[in-house]
Amino acid sequence: MRSIEDIAAPFQMMEPDMRLELLLEYTDKLPPLPERYAEMRDAGMAMVHECQSPVFLMPEIEQNGAQTVRVHADVPESAPTARAFTAILHEAFDGATPADVRAAPDDLLDRLGLSGLLGMQRTQGLAAIYRRLRGEVARKAGDETAAQA
Amino acid sequence: MPHPRYDVLLLLPKAEGRGPSAVAGPLTASPLSDDSPRPSRPEEGFFAFFALRGDFNNPDTTPIRTRRIELLLTIHELTAHPSPMPDYAHPEVLVSTDWAAEHLDDTDRVRFVEANEDVLLYKTGHLPNAVNVDWVQDLQDDTVRDFIDAEQFAALCSRMGIEEDTHVVFYGDKNNWWACYAFWVFKLYGHADCAVMDGGRKKWEQEGREMTTDSPDFAETDYPVPGSADSSIRAFRQEVEEHMRRGGPMVDVRSPEEFKGEITHVPGLPEESAMRPGHIPGARNVPWARAANDEDGTFRPPAELAEIYEDEEGLNAQDDTIAYCRIGERSSHTWFVLTYLLGFDQVKNYDGSWTEWGNLVGAPIETGEAGS
Repeated sequence: MRSIEDIAAPFQMMEPDMRLELLLEYTDKLPPLPERYAEMRDAGMAMVHECQSPVFLMPEIEQNGAQTVRVHADVPESAPTARAFTAILHEAFDGATPADVRAAPDDLLDRLGLSGLLGMQRTQGLAAIYRRLRGEVARKAGDETAAQA
Repeated sequence: MPHPRYDVLLLLPKAEGRGPSAVAGPLTASPLSDDSPRPSRPEEGFFAFFALRGDFNNPDTTPIRTRRIELLLTIHELTAHPSPMPDYAHPEVLVSTDWAAEHLDDTDRVRFVEANEDVLLYKTGHLPNAVNVDWVQDLQDDTVRDFIDAEQFAALCSRMGIEEDTHVVFYGDKNNWWACYAFWVFKLYGHADCAVMDGGRKKWEQEGREMTTDSPDFAETDYPVPGSADSSIRAFRQEVEEHMRRGGPMVDVRSPEEFKGEITHVPGLPEESAMRPGHIPGARNVPWARAANDEDGTFRPPAELAEIYEDEEGLNAQDDTIAYCRIGERSSHTWFVLTYLLGFDQVKNYDGSWTEWGNLVGAPIETGEAGS
C-alpha cells in the first residue's frame, strides 16, 4: 500500500506521453480476483456501469478489531486504462481504513495528471470507479453521512 | 482521380436478393486504366460492382492478373470462393483481417491506423506497422470545441507518413467505433482512399494474429493542407433544426434510456450533462452497436442491416438522413453503416449531438418512445 501522494508524485513530474507509460505499468499490477468473487462477476453483479468495459469492483470491510478496507476488482486486459486505474486504487486503498478512504482527495484524477490527458469521456468512467469505491466503503463501514454524499 | 489499385471492374447483373457470391448470370468486366474514374456506387442495372485490387507491376500480385482472365470467362470462381465481404453497397471501404495480414508490410501504399476508445490499448500491442490515432489527443481541439483544423490534419498525416494517395485502413476496439470516427474525420478532409478492417482488434485478436508493441517510424511526408472540410457529411445545428422542421429522417444512436429521456448523463458528473433529457423530435432510435455482430465485432450482413434501419425504422436510402448521439462519435459508426454498407445517398453526422441540442435555448425535444 502506498499513499495517494506517493503514487501521484511521479505522474505529476512526467510529460504527458511518459504519464501514459507510467499508467501502462499499472495494468500488470492488479491482483487476480479471488475465486470466491468469480461467480458474482460472471453474473454481472457489482459492475461499474458507467464504464465502457466490464469493470467489476467489490470493496469489502474486514472486521478484525479495527476496520480494514479490501479492494477486490477485475477489469479485462482489453480495457487497460480502467485496469490500470483500478490497480492504482487497489494500491492506494487495499489495507487502508475507511477513514483513509473518506479523507482521500475528490480530485484524484487531476492529481494523477490524467484529466486533461484522457479527456472528459474517458475520465467519466474512471471517476465512476473511484466514486463507487468510496461510496461502497462508506456504506459498508456504516458511515451514513459519507454514503449519501 | 487515379486509383491504380483497381485493375478490373466486374459488374454483376442485378438479381433480386442475391449478391455477387450467388449471381449466376452473364458477367461483364471492364479493365480500368490508372486514370479511369472509379465509380462510387453500383451502376444502374447492376447489383454491385466488385473491384479486384492489385498492382500489375508487383510480382506478388501477378496471380491476380491470371485470375482476371479466368474471371472474365467464368463466374464459378466467385461462387466457389465467396467475395471476402458480403454485398455491401460500397465493399471497397472494408478490408478483411486476411487482407490486412497480407498487406502489413505494404507500407509504401497502405497505412494501418489504430483508433481506440482506450488510450493505452495501442501500447499493449497492435498490428505490425500500424500507427495510432487518439481521438482526444490527435483529432480534437479543445480550444475551439471542434475537430482539428486543416493544417493540423495535414500535420497529423505527415507525421504518420501518409500521403494523398495512401490507402488508409482504420481499425480499433469496441466494434470499430473509434475507427469509424477517425474514418469520418479523414473523409471530412477529403482523404480519398479510406477503409475499415472489418471486426477490428477483436477479430484480429480472436484469430490469434501477430501483434507487436514496436511502434513503426515512417519517414515524415508533406501532406498538402486540404481545403475546407466536406460539409456534405457534417450537419450543424441550424441545418438540423431545418431538417427537423421539414420532418426529415434522423437516427439517434444512443441507448434507449438516453433516447427516452430517462437519463441525460452519468450521475454525479453534471459537467457532462445536457440540461434536458430526451431526443430531437422525429428521430428514430437505433443504438449504434446493433450494426455489429457481438461475437467478432464485424458488421452485420447487408440484409440484416437493411432489416434494422429500413424495415424496422423506415429509413430510406434516397432520403437525406442525419445521425447523432451524444458527442457525435457513436453516430459516426452509424453514418459509416448507412453511407457505405447500405448505400444511403446522403447521410450527415451531427457531431454537436445531444450535448449541444439538449442545452439549446428554443430547441424542441421529445421524450419517451419514438413516434410512429
